[in-house]
Parts: sequence; structure tokens; C-alpha cells
Amino acid sequence: MTRTTYLYENGVLVPRRKLLTSALAAGAGALLGFPAIATSNKSLKGVTLNTSLYSSPYSKLLRPWIAEFEEATGAKVNFDTPGFPVYNQRADLELSTKGSAFDAVNVTFIYSSRWINSGWLTPLDEYIADANKTPANYDVKDFLEGTLAPERGTDGKLYGIPWQAEVTIAAASRFDALKQAGFAFPQTTQELEQVSKALNRKEGAAGFVTDNHYGWTFVPFLHAFGGDVFRKAPNDLYPTLDTPEAIAAADYFARLLRDCGPDGVVSYNPDQALQSIKSGRSHLSVQGQINLSQLADKSSSKVANTAAWGLVPKGPAGRFPGTAIHGWGIPVGSKNKDAAWQFIRWATSKEILQRAVAAGYASPTRRSDIDSASYRDRQRANGFDIAALTIDSIALSAKQGHMKYRTVAAYPQVDQQLNKAIELIVTNQRTPEQAMKQAQAASIAELRRAGVTI
Amino acid sequence: MHAEVTLSITPSRPPFTQRFTGFVARHARDAVSVLILLLVLAPFAWLIQMAFRPAADALELNFQFTPTLDAFRDLWQDAFARSFGNSLLVSTLSTALSMLIGVPAAYALSRWTFRQRSHVALWILCTRMAPPIAFTIPFFLAFRWLGMLDTVWALVVVYLTFNLAIVIWMMQGFFDAAPTALEEAAWLDGCGIWSAFWHVTLPLTRPGLVATAVLCFIFSWSDFFFALILTRTQAVTAPVAIVNFLQYDGWEWTKIAAAGTLVMLPVLVFTALVRKYLVHGLTAGGVKD
Repeated sequence: MTRTTYLYENGVLVPRRKLLTSALAAGAGALLGFPAIATSNKSLKGVTLNTSLYSSPYSKLLRPWIAEFEEATGAKVNFDTPGFPVYNQRADLELSTKGSAFDAVNVTFIYSSRWINSGWLTPLDEYIADANKTPANYDVKDFLEGTLAPERGTDGKLYGIPWQAEVTIAAASRFDALKQAGFAFPQTTQELEQVSKALNRKEGAAGFVTDNHYGWTFVPFLHAFGGDVFRKAPNDLYPTLDTPEAIAAADYFARLLRDCGPDGVVSYNPDQALQSIKSGRSHLSVQGQINLSQLADKSSSKVANTAAWGLVPKGPAGRFPGTAIHGWGIPVGSKNKDAAWQFIRWATSKEILQRAVAAGYASPTRRSDIDSASYRDRQRANGFDIAALTIDSIALSAKQGHMKYRTVAAYPQVDQQLNKAIELIVTNQRTPEQAMKQAQAASIAELRRAGVTI
Repeated sequence: MHAEVTLSITPSRPPFTQRFTGFVARHARDAVSVLILLLVLAPFAWLIQMAFRPAADALELNFQFTPTLDAFRDLWQDAFARSFGNSLLVSTLSTALSMLIGVPAAYALSRWTFRQRSHVALWILCTRMAPPIAFTIPFFLAFRWLGMLDTVWALVVVYLTFNLAIVIWMMQGFFDAAPTALEEAAWLDGCGIWSAFWHVTLPLTRPGLVATAVLCFIFSWSDFFFALILTRTQAVTAPVAIVNFLQYDGWEWTKIAAAGTLVMLPVLVFTALVRKYLVHGLTAGGVKD
């Protein structure tokens, strides 16, 4: 007869042998420089985990480290990292048919509300609350609240663990030229237009550039002018695209692109907009910080020594940076949910994310990483603190709640209408009023078609 | 006595204006031809030059750069070779199977009369009547249930269903145009149906066979949609692999260009090799004898 001794760990009774094994594994992990898995070693022997994330700096960093997770748990991990559009197409199809092909997936920001509120993902609260599955040192509270908010469903439950926080910021490629012309970095929408016009076609560069996903790049300006996408998302989803504020914002934004943008700016995808400013062919831009922080990269940027960064410009109604959060989630059809959670916990653990930040990862979601000296030092360029811009933007977003429009499952349809409206105004096919009224009518029809009661 | 009359006939030159307008018309035609050729070739030229650029200069609008093979080297490190191989395998298999099944079917539809023959031919064409997206979900669910997602055979089966319609309809036309008298003569000489088909009818329709095979190959080779939905990691084809270079934090233009250049090669080589038959095959039946 064997006698088992139990000890307390994180408030629960754990067999002493298991605790010792865990402690040994943790010690070994610390020695070898990788986080220990809290459960017993090789506990996932024979389990194959199919995980998928779009290709990104984080996934590239994570890939070689997965062998350590496999070694520690005995699991085999298939880590699929296709390009962004390919990933979204596949994941959307797999999740909507409640398939079991994936055990852990990226909860893509633009689809998060649809995927979460359609019941296609597994709530993670019970995993987090269970001390056997999540030790206290995982510390969920370390994630910025602003990054956790988009991962929650309308039921208040958490469906994703954030690994990437992207915010829209402003940047100038030739801050020297800007200062020579007698300007400071533009802080308001009025200054942005003034500087863009003054610098347009100077030094062989357009005044302003941004990408043609206007459902993302225009909305900070829409908010800045006092407009919004919906009357009061997520509860009152009546669109408000034809209000005087929305029309004024569309007029301003389209004018900026038409009068100061490079030729053919309405066809610029995110990468073209990035390359335009990176190569010094555009002076100013408002885009995601993942893109604009690359201006400091001396190996690929021609403006690394002259670039400057700032918050998105403030409008008459205030400053409203866009935020996009991506997280790990477990599909409802997964047959290895516990193992998937173990993998997610490992992939978003303090140790792994710290290691990623040390290796140059620029979009962390944990407060401890954002506050770390190694991250802050790397995010400084030409005297500008890009990390501070990111933190301030996320804080503003969490405080003001202006990103709630993104938590609407049918937002992608409205997003398309905004894209179309701005394009029509920039190309002079419609007046701002006509285009926004058209977008309003089409959005109402789309929302009704999606089953939204208006 | 009679006078000798010499008639000298000198061809009269057309008036200058006529000669001038003829010259202008001839050269205007050439100029327009060259212009059209440039318009057609410009995107290919742009793609190829971009493939040899350093990544940092990918979108520069000048031709002052030092050519590099970095993009091609990176492609191989990205396991693009595997996707390229998958494309070759899937396209070859689906084309071969389509021809193997479709050609005898077309021959049967052409030579034999049976009830509902025209209906059968119409049903075969059904797969080409709806856009591919209409078949996506059924295919996806069926292959998932069969455990065939992310396999080369799933793509082969899908392309086969679409290619069969092309093969049967195209080849039926060629068999209809081939004279039956030669087959009958072969039967009289002791050939069986299959022997006559193999030794007499097929050689007569060789241009048609080549044109049909090329069309099937191109359809399979360039498909993106089904490959996107039905593959994950193991059976990814070249078109999907190229889209994977659209990264969240930037597009890898030089890799996209290098992969695009490589993807063009097999079809170019294939069509160049069979050009003689292809032109004949695609234009056969244009004039009624």
C-alpha cells in the first residue's frame, strides 16, 4: 500500500510527488532558461496540438522555442503560421463550421467580436480560476486591461489571451525638413493639415499618406471630430455615419488624402503606405505602430535618422487612437482544450514574453514587459519614446472606450461601407455628404441583413 | 510594208499621297503592335526586375540597383520549394487523370448514340456553370469528414471534377470533327474498337489533346481558391505560398516577385514546347470544310 502525501500549492492540495516533480521541472527550466510547465513533466505525451497564428514577429520568435514546450510536456505541436489574409480565411471557415482542426488559434482583432459572440471560442475564465491549470505566477492581471477588454464577449467572459497590442500613432519621415519649414510635430488635426499642405511635394515627397483600410485609419479622425460609427456601441447599433460631425471628418480626411497624398493614394494598401514613408516618399502618416516603428530600422528605412513619432492628432472632440489587440484562443471544436490552454499559458507566460521582448518584440501586452528597461530602451529612437506613445494610446482607449465599435459582430460590413465612402470622396465621385449618407443607408441595410435590430 | 510598233508597258507608280498613306498605315500598324506588346510584357518585366532587387529597394521607381539573388535564396529557406513541388504534382496528376478519364468519355459521347446523350453532356458541364465558391463549403466539409484536408489528393479530386468537364466538351468536338471513315477502314483491317481509337483517332486529334491538356494544367496550376481552403501546411501549393508573403508587419515584395517569376516558368516552358499543337488545337474547327 502506498501512502501519498499532499501539500498545498496555490490554495489547492497537490500530491507531494507531483509538487516535487514540478519544482524540479521549474528548477531545470530556470537553469535552462525556459519557463517550466506547472504540470508534471511529459504530462501531454501522445498529444498532438494543432496551433495557428498568422505570420508575425511574435510567431517567428516563438517557433524555435516551441521545442522547449514539447520537451517539457511531451506534446507534439504543429505550429502553422500563414500570411495574414490566408490565416483569417482559414480560421473563419474552421471556426464557423466548429471544426476540430485547430486547438489554439489567433483571435484576430477584426473578427474577434464575430468569433467570440457567435460562440465559436471557449471561455478561458474557468481555466484561469483553476489553480491546477493556472498557477498564480501566470498573473493575468499583468496584462494591460486595455488589451483584455477586446478579448471579452458580451457575456463578460474572457475568450482570448492578448499577445499583440497595436495602436495607431503618427509619424514624420523628415522631421528635419519639418523643423526647417518652421513647424513642430503636428498635435492637432488642424496642424496636421497645415503641415501636410506646407510640405506637400517638397523634397520629392507627398505631404501625407495612409492606407486604404479606412474602416481602421479614418475612424480616429471620425472620433476626433466628435462623430462615431454607431450611436452607442455595443448596445445601440444604429449607425451614425451621416451626422454633421461624421461628414466634417470625412471631408477633412479625404481632403488630406486628395490634396496632400501621393498619386493613386486610394489604392495604397498598408504595406505600400509604409514603404512610401519608409523610403521618404511621404512626409507624414497615421498608421499602426507596428508599421511606423519600422522607420527607426536602419537596415530597411531610409529615414531612420530623421524620423519622428507622436500620438494621433487631437481633433475638436479630443484624441482617439485606434487599438488592435490579437490574442490566443481555443476553438469550441477543439478536442484538446486542456492541453491547448497549457500551450497558450506557456506562449503568453511572463518568461516567454520577456524573452520575446529581449529579442526585439515591439508589441508586448504585459505591463511588466512594457515597463521593462530593455523594452523602453529599444523603443527609443531619435529622442522619441515610441513605447510611451503605445502605453498612452492603450490607456486612452481603455479610459474612453471609443474602440467599442469594434466589438460589434457586424462591424466588418460597416467597415466596407467606410472604405467605399472615403474612396468616393477622395476621387471626387461624391460629395462628403452624399458619400456618407450612402454609407449610412448601406450600413443600415447590412446590419439588418446580419440580424441586428435597429 | 508595215510599221513596227513597240509597246512598252511601264507600271504606273501610285501617286505620292497614296504611297505616303500606305507607308503611314503600315508603320502605324507596327507601332500599335509594339505598343500592345509592351503593355502586355510590362507587368512581367516589372515582376522579374523586382525579383532581383534588394528588399529595401523593392518598390523604388528606378532601375539603378545591383541585382541580387537574395529573394530566391530566401524562398528556398521558406520551404517554397515544397509548395512548388506540390503545385507540380497536383497539376500533373489532375491533368493526367482528367485526360485518362475524359478522353474515352468524350469519344463515347461523340461516336455512340444512346438515350439522354445530350442530357449527359449537359450534366457534365454543370460543374462549370456555378462559381467555384458555390462548391467550397461542401468540398471543405466532405474532405474534413474524410480526413483528407491538407492532402495532395483532395486537390487532385477537386481539380479533376472541374477539368473533366473541359476535357469532355473540348475533346468531343475534336472527335466529332475526325472522319469516321478511317476508323471504319481500320475495323475492316482487323482492328478492335480500342485499337482503332488508339492508333487512328487519337493521332488525328493530337492538337486537340495538347490544347486540352494545357488548359487543364493551367487551371490546376493557377488555382488559389480551393488550395487556400483545402490545405494547411503539408499540401500548400505555390499560389497560396505566395500570399503567405503578405505579412502583418509588411509585404515581402521581392519574395513575392521571385516566387511569381518561378511560378510563371513551368507554364511558359510547357506552352512553348507544345505551341505548334496548341495554336492548331485552339483554332481547329474555326472554318467549316
